[in-house]
Amino acid sequence: MGFGDFLTLPEIKLRVVTCRNVFQNTAQETSRFGEDYERLSAVIMLDPKDITRLSIKDGETVALRNGHGKVVVKAQRSGQEDAHSGIAYMLNSPWSNALVPVPDTGKGVPKYKDFEVTVQGSKGEKVTGIKQLF
Amino acid sequence: MVFSVFRFGDYLSEYFVCTGCALLCDDIEVDVQENRINTVNAACRKGVARMKGCTDPLVCTVDGKEEGIDKAVQKAASILRDAKNPLIFGHGNSSSEAQKLSIDLAKMTGAYIDDTSSFCQGPLVEAILQEKLKTCTLDDVRHRADVIIFWGADPSNSHPRHLSRYSYYPRGKERQRGWEEDRTLISIDIRRSDTALLCKDERFYRIPISGDAEFMEALVSSLSGKVPKTSFDYEKKRILELSNVLRKAKFGVICAGLGLVYSLEQLDPLFKLMDKLNELSDFHLIPMVGQYNMRGFNHNLFEETGYINRLKFDPQNDEPLHGPEYSIVETLYNKKVDAALIIGSDPLSSLPYSIAQNLKDIPLITIDPCQTLTASRSTVTIPCALGGVEADGTAVRMDGAEVTLKKIIKTDRLTDHEILKMIMEAI
Ligand code: SF4
Repeated sequence: MGFGDFLTLPEIKLRVVTCRNVFQNTAQETSRFGEDYERLSAVIMLDPKDITRLSIKDGETVALRNGHGKVVVKAQRSGQEDAHSGIAYMLNSPWSNALVPVPDTGKGVPKYKDFEVTVQGSKGEKVTGIKQLF
Repeated sequence: MVFSVFRFGDYLSEYFVCTGCALLCDDIEVDVQENRINTVNAACRKGVARMKGCTDPLVCTVDGKEEGIDKAVQKAASILRDAKNPLIFGHGNSSSEAQKLSIDLAKMTGAYIDDTSSFCQGPLVEAILQEKLKTCTLDDVRHRADVIIFWGADPSNSHPRHLSRYSYYPRGKERQRGWEEDRTLISIDIRRSDTALLCKDERFYRIPISGDAEFMEALVSSLSGKVPKTSFDYEKKRILELSNVLRKAKFGVICAGLGLVYSLEQLDPLFKLMDKLNELSDFHLIPMVGQYNMRGFNHNLFEETGYINRLKFDPQNDEPLHGPEYSIVETLYNKKVDAALIIGSDPLSSLPYSIAQNLKDIPLITIDPCQTLTASRSTVTIPCALGGVEADGTAVRMDGAEVTLKKIIKTDRLTDHEILKMIMEAI
């Protein structure tokens, strides 16, 4: 895909909630720098309607951006979920933490379970590696 | 060699404890060959991975070069000695023995001290220790609980053996017919998690993001005989049905997950709900603590200071400073610390990058069994023995029960508390 094509892909804003997954947790126990940990962590789970709105296919990469950072992860159609268009799920990991905001309320708690990102398809772009995150 | 526990007559051998999460399952059998754990029985997949150890163990280094422990300890001591505002953070994956030394080290160096509870289950553990929330043990849940609510919690992923060991499947003394007839499982969550799937449509209550406080208020109304109202128009009939189940519970428990904690601005709606439930029935709350000894740190610090986290010690003053401004999040946000010792945690992984990156600009010391993101940015890295596998110790389970950890295999690596002791002596 050329640069021009990339520009034409639609951008949408989604609310992200982070959650846990036992397979990813297991991969983390084995190695934070391993392929399994990256494969299972660098993912955003989307409602089928949002996949359509983004003009992407299940499994393609998407770029996520907000005022705190940018990461490229794989888009995945969320399986068993009820319809949740407008809301996406990410596993708690350094990839989601690149985007989690810290409100300036002085309360000492980041907004892990409710933050906004702009999502755009980025087919062909590589998933951000863990070492590039930092 | 197989270590196992079989209680046949008077015969008793031993089980081991998994430190994969704060359930601290104490029924683990292992097969050890040539001082390596070959097979782990009874643990979940996460526990097996924890007990078998990581594939990239931490190496002892100073400034990125491999060094002996003495040199690393000397460097760590000099970093902490020279710092004006050091931070000591982590402790979720540390033994209670190490946590107590960490508190002494913070006093000695006038450090900020905090742990992961500061940005997760802290408010609930604090309320329990201050006796503002009624709690019970996991053994009470196994033997007595008939109504079990997972609120903003998905143990099928976070604590995989919660349902099978304690909360749903087992036959307990007063729950002989187990999950099929004797227990009602309820999930209140913003998404249909794997745990919610077990509750079927009938007992899964899907609420909107941040809708927890309002849903609690609606339940209190319903339990008080009033019409439950929510701004998100939750079906009244379903709230009334749920409150009927809760009202009739003989022994109820709310297993409170991070979804609930992050959603509440303050705990008042939860206190009101628990008070109401206890007027009508017998309800308890257990926080779904993640790391194996996070609650231990809260207990140890509370015993010592009356606070569970977010402190700064002042060598000139007996009374420590406490409040959100002393939390790891605020101290990093406001760039208040000039050195940090990280033990049993990986804040570069678990904190938002926008603040975690401030750790990269200061001298860091990491004590951990495995290579972590924080370790990869540290001036000093010191490997320690893995708790419950290579080291003895004690820890506090998510329900507050103290658990003894027994070492399974030998290692040359020092324990976390031995390393802290050496650093303190060097200072
Ligand atoms: S549930 Fe937790 S403590 Fe039990 S085996 Fe799994 S990881 Fe270990």
